[in-house]
Amino acid sequence: MPSSRAHWWFIGPALFLMAVILLMPIGIAGVMSFTNYSLGNPGADWVGLENYEKIFTRSTYQKMFGATFRYVFVVVPLSVGLGLGAALLINSTKRFGDFYKTIYFLPVMAALIAMAIVWEFALHPTIGIVNSTLEKGCGTVLESWSWFSQGCDRGFPLWLTDRDYAIWTVAFIGVWQGFGFNMVLYLAGLTSVPRELYQAAEMDGAKSAWERFRLVTWPMLGPTTVFVVTISFIRSFQVFDTVEAFYPQGGGPSKSVYVMMFAIYEKAIQQNLMGIGAAITVVFLVFVMFLTLAQRWLVEKRVHYS
Amino acid sequence: MAAISLSAIKKNYGETSVLSGIDLSIAEGEFLTLVGPSGCGKSTLLRILAGLEAPSSGDVLIDGKRVNSVRPADRNLAMVFQSYALYPHLTIAQNIMTPLRLRDLSFAERLPVAGAVIGRKKHRMLHRQVEETARILKIEHLLDRKPGQLSGGQRQRAALGRAMVRNPAAFLMDEPLSNLDAALRIHMRAELAELHRSLKTTFVYVTHDQAEALTMSDRMAVMMDGNILQLGTPDEIYNNPRDIRVAEFVGAPKINLLAGHLDPAGHARCADVVLSRVAPSACTDVTIGLRPEHLALCDPTDPEALKGRVIHKENLGADIYFHTAIQDGASRLVVRASPVEGSAISIGHDIAFKRLHGLAMVFDPSGKRMDLMTEPLEHVSEVA
Repeated sequence: MPSSRAHWWFIGPALFLMAVILLMPIGIAGVMSFTNYSLGNPGADWVGLENYEKIFTRSTYQKMFGATFRYVFVVVPLSVGLGLGAALLINSTKRFGDFYKTIYFLPVMAALIAMAIVWEFALHPTIGIVNSTLEKGCGTVLESWSWFSQGCDRGFPLWLTDRDYAIWTVAFIGVWQGFGFNMVLYLAGLTSVPRELYQAAEMDGAKSAWERFRLVTWPMLGPTTVFVVTISFIRSFQVFDTVEAFYPQGGGPSKSVYVMMFAIYEKAIQQNLMGIGAAITVVFLVFVMFLTLAQRWLVEKRVHYS
Repeated sequence: MAAISLSAIKKNYGETSVLSGIDLSIAEGEFLTLVGPSGCGKSTLLRILAGLEAPSSGDVLIDGKRVNSVRPADRNLAMVFQSYALYPHLTIAQNIMTPLRLRDLSFAERLPVAGAVIGRKKHRMLHRQVEETARILKIEHLLDRKPGQLSGGQRQRAALGRAMVRNPAAFLMDEPLSNLDAALRIHMRAELAELHRSLKTTFVYVTHDQAEALTMSDRMAVMMDGNILQLGTPDEIYNNPRDIRVAEFVGAPKINLLAGHLDPAGHARCADVVLSRVAPSACTDVTIGLRPEHLALCDPTDPEALKGRVIHKENLGADIYFHTAIQDGASRLVVRASPVEGSAISIGHDIAFKRLHGLAMVFDPSGKRMDLMTEPLEHVSEVA
């Protein structure tokens, strides 16, 4: 039936939806990034690469990249590493496994805005539990640590409002919030590792836990790791809610926590500069695309064994 | 090479007892098979021997030394798993080299690049050992492939190579052929037996296939319900089973069993099937066991002839097995015939056959074998 057009009726709706809700917005954002469009304006001027020029030259955007990359490169390794560690530990316990799973998964389930408020209290310089606990350590051996004795003399850091600490504190909360999710993914991955492989490793002379991990666990978790790392990268590039909750006025102390998502929100929504907002979005998309593709090329070939 | 002995091994999982006091000693260089239906505890016994599971009580001795508290890695045993358990991310060469790397190289020598430089000589030696093993198993051309790219038979060889490469004290094999197709399984049977002869190492082999046990082993232990029912050479087990369960399990097609009883003179009889030899005791219900090859087609006029109707015919090429209903369908017997005699007979025909003398087995009500005596008691009512 060469003349039949039935196939269009089968794939048409899916194609249409994909074009309208996935491809078109990206295309529109791409076009918009070359204009100075503002919401409500009847038209816009074509400005060429001006928006991109701003992104790569102005110091605000340099701070944006700095904050984003600091956040990403702290949160991804730590949340993946802790997720794997927690999964291995839980997998090795016979009792309380479910209990630990629930505990570690709680931050993932909790609403981050609410959690941010709790953290804001905990990290408050005068009434917060963190600094008041640290002060109790003054006068003990801990003072031999120079950072600690400085804290005792001049007061402990303001965590969220000190520009040297702010991004790391936010990253810490990101790790706290994210590693439970990675743990669950790793736990699922661990169930698919054949037990016979561990027994074969034992018979082959792998005596230490490290040798078994290197020989069996880590290679067999390869596909899981690729997935977990990719997901973690994307999630941490997308960090927004903690920043918005802690610094609604924009970017934290001297814009040290001015992450990309927040920049998009601030420019495009708060300041109604759709053009520059779209340009940041495109740059963001390119980063995520690049990382995902790099993952596939570099790793995926080596972790699927059959 | 090592002699292995297991004494009073018991294993319970909670309330359920899997092994109930196994005693077994395996001589140096012997090929011993543990055979039994699934769930009889044979794999558990092998895993206890390997150290992968701890016995609830009892001792495992390797070369006279008690190894209960020695971990598997230190027992110097090699195991071939049913699923082969090859490391999927390593090539066949790396798979075979793994036990050598883990045992013979120090931590520094195992480092990715530096290790190859530090322990250059050792590395070269390991490569030679791997190549030598691959040559014996004829898998040299597969060394650079990953397990996922190999067929079942090739993986089987690679798993054997990994076990062989370091000259272990004994090989433990847990149903290594059960994932292969029938033709390859028969081929590998011969190859494994040959390998055993050339390596002269102790083999402990677990299988549920009685044919594998019969064809390969020096001795076989038939296990059922956590006990060893009988231990002996394949000949002994097949021709002289001490228990009805052994007789039933070993041999294909299965042994014919007829429910009968001992008459006052001690002859076992089941209707017109009457044995001339006599049992020492008398007057109990017994079971008469006749293997298909204990029966032969004969002329219907023969005075000893038994008559039956063919209800099923199995043609195996070299042999033909007739399932016949005798005594008007009250019992069934499987009769073996050669193709020359049997090709003309088909289902529904009436055939005549007789028993070959002195081969039938008689089991008492508890399933134990009864030894029969050839000299008849004073009055012999029938010959058979």
